[in-house]
Amino acid sequence: MKAIKILLTIALTYFIGLSGTAQKTMLLSKGTVHVGNGKVINQGLIGIKGNKIILVDNALTHNLDPTLWDTIIDLKGLDVYPGFFAPNSKLGLTEIDAVRATRDFREVGTYNPHVRSLTAYNAESEIIGTVKTNGVLYTQATPEGGIISGTSSIMSLNAWNWEDAVIKKDDGIHLNWPSTAVGGNWNSSSPTKKSNDNYSSRLKEIRAFFEAALSYSETKDLFDPRFEAMRELFKGEKRLYIHADEMRALLDIIDFQRELEIKFPVIIGGYDAYKVADQLNAYNIPVMIKGGHTLPSNEDDPIDLPYRLPYLLKEAGVLFCIQNSGRMETMNTRNIPFLAGTAMAYGLTEEEAISAISLNTAKILGIEKLAGSIEEGKLATLFVNKGTPLDMRSNNLILGMVNGAFIDLTNVQTKLYDKYKSKYENEK
Amino acid sequence: MKTIYFLSFLLLFTVTFSFGQIPVPNNGMKKSEPSTYVLRNAKIIVSPEKIIKKGSLVIKDGKVISVGKLVRFPDGAIVMDMEGKTIVPSFIESYSSVGLPKAEVSKNAEDPQIETSKEGAYYWNESIHPEVNAANEFKVDKKASETLQKMGFSVAATHIDDGIARGNGALVALGDIPYKKAILKANGAAYFSLEKGVSRQTYPSSQMGVIALLRQALYDAEYYKNHEESIAANLSLAALNKQLSGPIIFSVNDKLEVLRVQKIAEEFGLEFVIVGGGNEFEQIHDFKDWKQPMILPINFSAAYDVGDPYISQQIPLGDLKEWELAPSNPYLLKKNNVQFAISSKGHTKAEDFWKHFHSVLERGLSREDALAALTTIPAEIFNMEDQLGTLDEGKIASFSVFDKDPFEMKNAILEESWSIGKQHLISNTPEIDIRGKYRISLPETSYVVDIKGSAEKPTGTAVSYKKITDSSTMKTRVDTLTSKVGVKVDYRDAVFYFEIKDNKYEGVITLHGNFSPKIDAFIGNAQLPDGTWAKWSGIQLSGYKVDPEDLEKNKVKVDTNSVGKVWFPNMAYGLDSLPETKTYVIRNATIWTNEAKGVIKNASIVLKNGKIDFVGTGTFSIPANAIEIDGNGMHVTSGIIDEHSHIAISKGVNESGQAISAEASIADVVRNDDINIYRQLSGGVTVSQLLHGSANPIGGQSAIIKLKWGYSPEEMLVKDMPKFIKFALGENVKQSNWGTHQTVRFPQTRMGVEQVFYDAFIRAEEYKKKWEEYNALSTKKAERLNILPPAKDLELETVWEVKNGERFISCHSYVQSEINMLMKVADSMGFTVNTFTHILEGYKLADKMAQHGAGGSTFSDWWAYKYEVKDAIPFNANLMQEQGVVVAINSDDAEMGRRLNQEAAKSIKYGGMSEEDAWKMVTLNPAKLLHLDERMGSLKKGKDADVVIWSDNPLSINAQVVKTFVDGELLYDSYKSVDHFYRIQTEKARIITKMLSENQNGEAKKPFVKKKEKHWHCDSIGDSKH
Repeated sequence: MKAIKILLTIALTYFIGLSGTAQKTMLLSKGTVHVGNGKVINQGLIGIKGNKIILVDNALTHNLDPTLWDTIIDLKGLDVYPGFFAPNSKLGLTEIDAVRATRDFREVGTYNPHVRSLTAYNAESEIIGTVKTNGVLYTQATPEGGIISGTSSIMSLNAWNWEDAVIKKDDGIHLNWPSTAVGGNWNSSSPTKKSNDNYSSRLKEIRAFFEAALSYSETKDLFDPRFEAMRELFKGEKRLYIHADEMRALLDIIDFQRELEIKFPVIIGGYDAYKVADQLNAYNIPVMIKGGHTLPSNEDDPIDLPYRLPYLLKEAGVLFCIQNSGRMETMNTRNIPFLAGTAMAYGLTEEEAISAISLNTAKILGIEKLAGSIEEGKLATLFVNKGTPLDMRSNNLILGMVNGAFIDLTNVQTKLYDKYKSKYENEK
Repeated sequence: MKTIYFLSFLLLFTVTFSFGQIPVPNNGMKKSEPSTYVLRNAKIIVSPEKIIKKGSLVIKDGKVISVGKLVRFPDGAIVMDMEGKTIVPSFIESYSSVGLPKAEVSKNAEDPQIETSKEGAYYWNESIHPEVNAANEFKVDKKASETLQKMGFSVAATHIDDGIARGNGALVALGDIPYKKAILKANGAAYFSLEKGVSRQTYPSSQMGVIALLRQALYDAEYYKNHEESIAANLSLAALNKQLSGPIIFSVNDKLEVLRVQKIAEEFGLEFVIVGGGNEFEQIHDFKDWKQPMILPINFSAAYDVGDPYISQQIPLGDLKEWELAPSNPYLLKKNNVQFAISSKGHTKAEDFWKHFHSVLERGLSREDALAALTTIPAEIFNMEDQLGTLDEGKIASFSVFDKDPFEMKNAILEESWSIGKQHLISNTPEIDIRGKYRISLPETSYVVDIKGSAEKPTGTAVSYKKITDSSTMKTRVDTLTSKVGVKVDYRDAVFYFEIKDNKYEGVITLHGNFSPKIDAFIGNAQLPDGTWAKWSGIQLSGYKVDPEDLEKNKVKVDTNSVGKVWFPNMAYGLDSLPETKTYVIRNATIWTNEAKGVIKNASIVLKNGKIDFVGTGTFSIPANAIEIDGNGMHVTSGIIDEHSHIAISKGVNESGQAISAEASIADVVRNDDINIYRQLSGGVTVSQLLHGSANPIGGQSAIIKLKWGYSPEEMLVKDMPKFIKFALGENVKQSNWGTHQTVRFPQTRMGVEQVFYDAFIRAEEYKKKWEEYNALSTKKAERLNILPPAKDLELETVWEVKNGERFISCHSYVQSEINMLMKVADSMGFTVNTFTHILEGYKLADKMAQHGAGGSTFSDWWAYKYEVKDAIPFNANLMQEQGVVVAINSDDAEMGRRLNQEAAKSIKYGGMSEEDAWKMVTLNPAKLLHLDERMGSLKKGKDADVVIWSDNPLSINAQVVKTFVDGELLYDSYKSVDHFYRIQTEKARIITKMLSENQNGEAKKPFVKKKEKHWHCDSIGDSKH
């Protein structure tokens, strides 16, 4: 047994690496544990064996047997958080937005349920290095475009390759619900927004596709790659992520999922979700809302609506989490903690804000038994910070761990920083 | 036909003004055509001031020869009885393209086309073509004429609707008029607009570019005028010079564009008659006592289809309010002493024009003013008041005949349009009005028929009775059949058919009869249900009475109070009235001074007369009427200054048509109705530099604005604004991400960018040298040696200002090689790069920047969105700061602009900057970079009262803006957000209810379309087309 006071360099050089297969035990001791489920243990013990958390308890009441632990790290005065999530993300699917050669998130075609992000995911993306150092340790690699853009997978951000990154393979299919209004995007050629005359015909088309896929799923002797990919959706083994924002679309989705007996529908976007909260609750439909760093959709909307939306949904009892799709989302993935921070500034408690990017996300993704909070039996994916990581000033990881292994807290940017800092120091 | 002599002493035959016609040979013989008409017993609206209740109008050879109660009817005149009719002088359409071809896009143009494709001695830009002459292209277009004639216009000014300088228009008579007579004035007004038109030349690509181009063309014209003898001929400039003395019609689409264009008029001492956007009322303070007449469109938009609340909730309040108030535009302008003509511009259907015309009257414009706006004022605009505009003696006999006074009755029908003395029948009003109750007598039976509806399309009912006797009880009863009567009126005949059921006939009876208006009776033949023919007669039992309800409904009723109030700006979150500067005292707060005192706790600050009057913890006197605010627990800072913003800009942030566009200026296109102004106030921003985009190495000039929500664009500009210009480097200027066919414009590599800079600065130097040499000459010597002054070049003058240190550079930049390059260009040419903006690799050469004296305004943590930012690091601000560079954090983004406090705080995380230094990066440092730190950027007595109250430490994630003051005015107050919410909801509901009732009345409606200006970024190309 070794007792380590916080001596970062030692800790890192000792434990770094992704091997992590040895079933050694480690105890993170006396840190303030933000469980992720709303609870805080002021002086907590977190026991880790292999890639799992095997113990979470209060240090004051726990009868500690130090001999059980290969390593004990004293985290007194520090805070421990579950790894945060970046759901609905292109992280790992693109490196530089403007360079076409690096864009691997949008396939040709309108209905592409068979197109999977899993194998295009680049575990070595340099952007990922800058994301995990802010406490975001999971992503849901998600294709975009078309009506059904494809199938996403949930990945952890510390991995050699997509195979060992994957937490849940092919977790769900993404359906882009048509909008009742078209145009009006910041970069569209037509800046005016007008009602979408094709809305209903699009809906019929989607319904027809799903009905055909449902009929297909009841047979065994046919093969169609698209319908095959939909099969597990009807069994409830894949989620259906439906991207939509407007009230009418949300209400139509509620009818759609009911009539097609979709087992796990999730709404992504949900700008108007607070207006239809009762209906969403009636069918237990959760929402992944766009984080608050976005402008209100309409000129007339309350100017702080995007900031306040998490609070409104919480008050309405809707299960929600925060995602950050949109312009420059890949590099902005590292700001997800501050999206939660903004939600905290506008009504959530700190622990609720943390849940919105940890346990709630895991629940919505259907992996809450495996990840999302610091609880026994879950993956040891967590980080240590002094003060709240939801504030820019205090987001500063002291330790980061994915699946029981410490992560490298340097990245391409810190290396450039050190390089030029020493250039100037040497020139003095 | 009779000739009547009345007391004719009034009438001195002064018909000396008949058209001096050029002889045209006839086909063998002269045509037989009447030339003299008398229209008698009409209500004659002679002019806005003069109405003859019942009188006669005498016209001969296309001119009015007399008008009055008592006039002499000339020999041989055709006399027409106009009993009950109203004669109105012809309206003059002041803005049309009637009879002219549509401009077409040249099919052979290269893409992209940098230079003009028009051969000949014309201007270098295709959208400046003043040499075009409408009269050369004019063709009599009866169909297009008739559309206008139905609206009361027999005269129209017309021009070819294309380009910025569009050429001369013509004034033409409408209708079926011989070519040789139709053009009343060939060299009519000159026409201009802010629209580039069909030109495919890349320049100009934005509204600010259009303005710059037009200004340059006007300077060129001036130069050409002065030196025409000595330089090569330019047909465009020659034409332009001729036009500038005459009437100039300038067409725009929006109130702000009117103001922009007026600025050009003032710069060149010109008088523009501006065709407005119809929403001038929204900016009424700027239009008070407008000097020139305007031309106003009244093509008000139809109500939105608001039946679906899911959709109607998305319509912006601003659009709803504009819809509601637009018909009041003429009245409100008149009230503010603006003269204007009214145009039918935008109408394709006469009924829409009349509907809109009547709504203008009902909103309060008097009939005199409305008539003047359609007659005498346009006549004056086109210098034709001696011939057009009224029906006074000697004027051209162009007028309209209505069945009722169209200024009093909304259902008045325009029956005839007279154009230079020629009658055109417009509505096929029946000769006879058969409405009334008739007894129709047939052999052995008769029916009562009631004819109602309109005179043109009457409808009716007929009643027949059948007596039935029950064979068992012998009791009789009567069955009544009321059937619809089909009616058709054809000249003086009428046709009826209806179903009958009586003891004689059962079936349909059809009747044709001739109507005698003298005895109000019909005589004719009928075919009976059994197929036999019979004679019939119809005797009127009672005449038709106008339904009093109908009459009341069709009366023009003035109501100026039925509409909501104009907000400033006229949209969500607009103010009821402009705010006043008050005195505020904020006590017990934590104050971030940005001065030597640093952050002081339990301190107070006094805002008075728009300035900071006191900051500190000592004693101070509380000014009278001061509003006290308890700042306990709150933090007070100076307002955030965004060095790099693209909000509040109209129609294009990039003038991307050329590699150098130094002549273009964002200050020309600031708009005050961008919701992002208000949203950013809510994020504590008080000042923004609105930068040109980064599409070219030398971009356009900046505007630095205070976020004065509710004020006009001109009032938003910072007073004595330091002059700035945007430069840019890298991928955007070499068009890397513009698509594969954009490989023509120089430069396409970083190598070329350097040369563009050298070229521009060397040319600017030469230009200045030429001027200096010229100015050194005495006038005499210059004349003797025939030395011309250099021609004014707006582009090079601006570049010279940069070289001369009068104008500062804010240069979009990412990669160290090019940053170094520009500093070397600057060093060798003798100027300094004031600010490198974005400057994401600044950390690699911060020492060189500090040495050069350049500041850096950067993003906190953006990277990886394009190849040239792959080495960007969030530690950049710290590293630059440590090397002595003045560093700011900017937004370049409407969203990020409202939480720059969070962005500043990231430098604490990435590199460990102190809180006070981090805060200065969004306040004092940008003020320094903008040369405004004497007036802004810190809290100090005497500085501008641009102050923000925060709920917490402004760098905390928990911080919210409580209040924002700009120049001492409280322009954002978070405590009002609930009020705003309800106010907006109530106002929307009120107007949507109004729209709904229009929807239900079957009025025209349009599907939801949301007007929207783009959110600009550096690399947004082109103009928003809407």
